[in-house]
Amino acid sequence: MKTDDLIASLSADLPKVAPGAAARRVALGLGLGALGSTAVMLAWLGPRPDIAEAVLTPMFWMKFGYAAITGLILAALLTRLAKPAVRPGALVAVAAVPFVVVAAMALMRYAQAPPEAHRAMLMGHSSMVCPWRIVAIGLPLLAGAVWAVRGLAPTRLRAAGLVAGGCAGALGAAVYAIACNETSAPFLAIWYTLGMALAAGLGAVAGSRLLRWR
Amino acid sequence: MLAGLAGEAGPYRRLLDELSGLLRAYYGRRCPPGLDAEDLVQETLIAVHTRRATYDAGQPFTAWAYAIARYKLIDALRRGRAHLRAPAEEADALFTPPGASGGAEAAMAARDLDRVMADLPARTRELIRETKIEGLSTREAAEKHGMTESAVKVAIHRGLKALGGKYAGPGGEEGPDED
Repeated sequence: MKTDDLIASLSADLPKVAPGAAARRVALGLGLGALGSTAVMLAWLGPRPDIAEAVLTPMFWMKFGYAAITGLILAALLTRLAKPAVRPGALVAVAAVPFVVVAAMALMRYAQAPPEAHRAMLMGHSSMVCPWRIVAIGLPLLAGAVWAVRGLAPTRLRAAGLVAGGCAGALGAAVYAIACNETSAPFLAIWYTLGMALAAGLGAVAGSRLLRWR
Repeated sequence: MLAGLAGEAGPYRRLLDELSGLLRAYYGRRCPPGLDAEDLVQETLIAVHTRRATYDAGQPFTAWAYAIARYKLIDALRRGRAHLRAPAEEADALFTPPGASGGAEAAMAARDLDRVMADLPARTRELIRETKIEGLSTREAAEKHGMTESAVKVAIHRGLKALGGKYAGPGGEEGPDED
């Protein structure tokens, strides 16, 4: 096919593209992924038995909020990375804010607590499974993110994969917060963050392969 | 580009025309031996078209298009050089009607066609058959398969190029496709 013919045929069929179409695609992928992740969480672990009372406590919202806000910031960053020649800009700094806030709160609680409580604060009762559960629950979200981003045009695949994984891990952690009954800020700062970081690492490793598009 | 996103074919076509000139210059300087610059131009035009939703209003258009061009160049190098070697127009010749040369020859040509197309994905094969032989328009084929028209065009273009790659003679072998 001659290039001129190709141009003619491409411009002959030109449906309108609404502004924000790329962001909507990312939202759709992550939305469907979140449904999948919630289904996995419910089928596998179920909500914590005391969920009705837990939603009245600040700690529940701190866990959920930390994960959900981080996830939403990373979703915005992911949308930018899915577009050619768009700089991530100040969003990178914004993405660091929840980590800094939660780390500061964790340090404060840790410093205020009596030394004999420190171990329980750090390790909780589920530290060995928590990060892995976050990664596993985040997998449907990662699949949704990969689907969305592949259909756009990422040009830095490893960076896009890292952020896709981090976003899936963070939103997966928000879903996991419904099942998890840990109550300490240091636990959250360490093990939730580790789960998100593992998911981000998985995304970065898989990204350069999974996100390739033609 | 904004006119293109709004669905105005005229300005969009002029944009692609100008862009193809820029891309030819871009790949002309960078294209290593073994890759066909014009194929890269076409691949990039297809990507610009099918992924135009990733263009932000207010962003410099050329920066956006060159980022895609650069990605396509890297991608082509990565997927192996042979893949892009044969232009699609050579494959078009396979579909010229046998003309007055009689029924037996036509039947043989049809059988050959089945054979050469056997390696294409089933849907691409059907699309090529319907549009090039049965004479459906791309719109009709698109409706039949529930695809968008551009998806049909891209599938046919790639299918023909894969065929061209296979039957272009020595050096034109198909590289392993990663899709």
